[in-house]
Amino acid sequence: MSGYPKGNVLIGCSVIAFALITLLVWIPSDTATGIVETVRRRTVIGDAMAPSLAALFLLVGGLLLLTAERRAASQPLPSREAVVFALQIALILVVSLLLMRWTGPLAAALAGEEYRLLRDSYPWKLAGFILGGTVMVAALLVLAEQRLSLRVLVIALAAVIVLVAIYDLPFDDLLLPPNGDV
Amino acid sequence: MGMLDHAWLGVLAVFQGPAAFSLFSLPISFTLLLVFAGFVLGIVVGATPGLAGPMAMAISLPVLISIFGYSSDALLPVMGFLIGVMKGATIGGAVPAILFNTPGTPDAFMTTLDGHPMARAGKAGKALRVAHFSSVTGDTFSDIVLVLCAPFLALLVEAYLDLPEKTALLILSLSFIAAVVGGSPGKGLISTGLGLLAVYVGSGEDFYPRLSMGTETLSRGFSVTTAVLGVLILGAVFEGMQETFHDHRRQPGATTHALTGDQVLRFADIRRLLPYIGQSAVIGTLIGALPGIGSTLAATLGYTLGRTRHQKHQPAGAPGFGDGVPEGVAATEAANSAVSGANLIPVLSLGIPGNAAAVFLILAADSIGGFTPGPSVFRVPSEGINPELVVAFGLFTAMFLANALNWTLGGLFMRSMGVMTRAPKHILLPIVLLLTLTAIYVQEPRMEAILFALAFGFLGYFMRKAGISPLPFVIAFILGGTLEQTARQAFAATGGDPFFLFASPIAAFFMLAAVAVIVFTARKPVT
Repeated sequence: MSGYPKGNVLIGCSVIAFALITLLVWIPSDTATGIVETVRRRTVIGDAMAPSLAALFLLVGGLLLLTAERRAASQPLPSREAVVFALQIALILVVSLLLMRWTGPLAAALAGEEYRLLRDSYPWKLAGFILGGTVMVAALLVLAEQRLSLRVLVIALAAVIVLVAIYDLPFDDLLLPPNGDV
Repeated sequence: MGMLDHAWLGVLAVFQGPAAFSLFSLPISFTLLLVFAGFVLGIVVGATPGLAGPMAMAISLPVLISIFGYSSDALLPVMGFLIGVMKGATIGGAVPAILFNTPGTPDAFMTTLDGHPMARAGKAGKALRVAHFSSVTGDTFSDIVLVLCAPFLALLVEAYLDLPEKTALLILSLSFIAAVVGGSPGKGLISTGLGLLAVYVGSGEDFYPRLSMGTETLSRGFSVTTAVLGVLILGAVFEGMQETFHDHRRQPGATTHALTGDQVLRFADIRRLLPYIGQSAVIGTLIGALPGIGSTLAATLGYTLGRTRHQKHQPAGAPGFGDGVPEGVAATEAANSAVSGANLIPVLSLGIPGNAAAVFLILAADSIGGFTPGPSVFRVPSEGINPELVVAFGLFTAMFLANALNWTLGGLFMRSMGVMTRAPKHILLPIVLLLTLTAIYVQEPRMEAILFALAFGFLGYFMRKAGISPLPFVIAFILGGTLEQTARQAFAATGGDPFFLFASPIAAFFMLAAVAVIVFTARKPVT
């Protein structure tokens, strides 16, 4: 076993595999024109040319990691802790975005109204943003401080109210989430 | 109208544009007001560890566009604000570096080496004054070089480069950025390749949106906002949160050191520091003019060369670099600040962004319309006015205006920003995350935009964790469309010549240089 780190080999192999799949499978099957096309006796660049160049950049990059940079001193890889953290963040974001998207429509449905007709009126238009945004910031603060406190909720709510004051109150044409989707 | 007439119109556009209010019967234009506002905001975010100028730019852009709309009148106020942020953040980063040994921006790390020892010795006031003077001098020098060089470089490009040469130049730029950013050409190429691949999803000339996998979601492609803010800002926020949260400790209570002795920057001090500042300003400007090479390298080089100079000229036994000498602060701050103006040379003359701040200027120009950074900006029409040239000179005026603010008020603001260092990073970052997501939604009001941005954010996070710089990704994403368009036109113009990139000596030189820069940087000794 040689003693140098293996980060670049791992990244290089993954990127080469992705580049080859992109070049040989994805691009040919998912573009309507090839690298070059002849249209009415004129040869023009097709839609596959540019993505193939992108895949070529990936391929050369991966090969460089496997050859010239194989023994580089610094070869960082995402740690297990970094991956777990990303999953925690992703979970918080999914829950808070679902609340942001559906709080207003669900509340309107419970009141026997259609959200689309209420999305320009208070408090309906802000219900999802305030609840989803507060949950997002508060949950992230709980993750940081490892405890739930009233202070965390107050900070999160205050931050959301400031955002409403910046984006919603002065501008009629700006839509806060989820009002552009309903 | 000639170049000078356009320059004068640019100055007038800044000072006599739509007035925000009157001060002693003197109308103050929106552009003046916004350069000032951006400058103050820039100092605040620069002085706050965990925040950065690009974050402030990303969050402000939708608000500014909502206020000023999409008319060409919006260009100077909005871009003036961004320039103000860029300038302010440059000097703001030195504050926590000197006072609390915590660089506010990555390029301020070298400032800690001498700045903080000075603060510990009771010379914090002097260190901040040295940092301010050096930073502003370097920045002003860099701006002068920008104004002198950008128009001529653009005219040269227009005169000598045709479509194949422009295509080859774009490839060379991408290759150069991939090779030099982040110190690993392999990873730089991967970042560039990913950026190009992302921008080509859902685009193309055929009716079928390529690489969309037949889905409606991908058929519209990814907007610049979601990709750039995702990879650049959200990626940085996620990384910052991971580092801060998992430290399981708050930032240590900042210790202030009592001031002792003379805190004033005297003429004798300036005379002693000027050679260091001059040397670093030249280094920073040269590095800044090359796209992709950041101010961190400029600061490191400026500091290293300053140390060599100091060793030559100091008597034996005198304190050296690292012991808290003003020359160390001056060498670093002049170099990293000189990057900011010169970084706009490739943006304005070639349309190639070299750093994150330049990316946001291009984003603003792209969102508002009426100004496309590139060589055509500096074309002087045989009759009439080139409005883009007026805007370009308006931007130069805004830069010098920001410098004037920096010379007069910058030091005062800077010295009052010590309090920002106490802002708890673990509270700020989740708020910045929600702020960025909101900014993305108001620009592109659909939840898909937020989801795409988050996906790009996680991509940026894992790229950073794997030592892959996200900057080549962003620059490739911005240049990808232009590259394809130019290549298509060049190919058609040469009658379908498959070797159109090698048909002229200049294009062939650019292509060989693109390969050579990768080969030579990859062959450097492993450190």
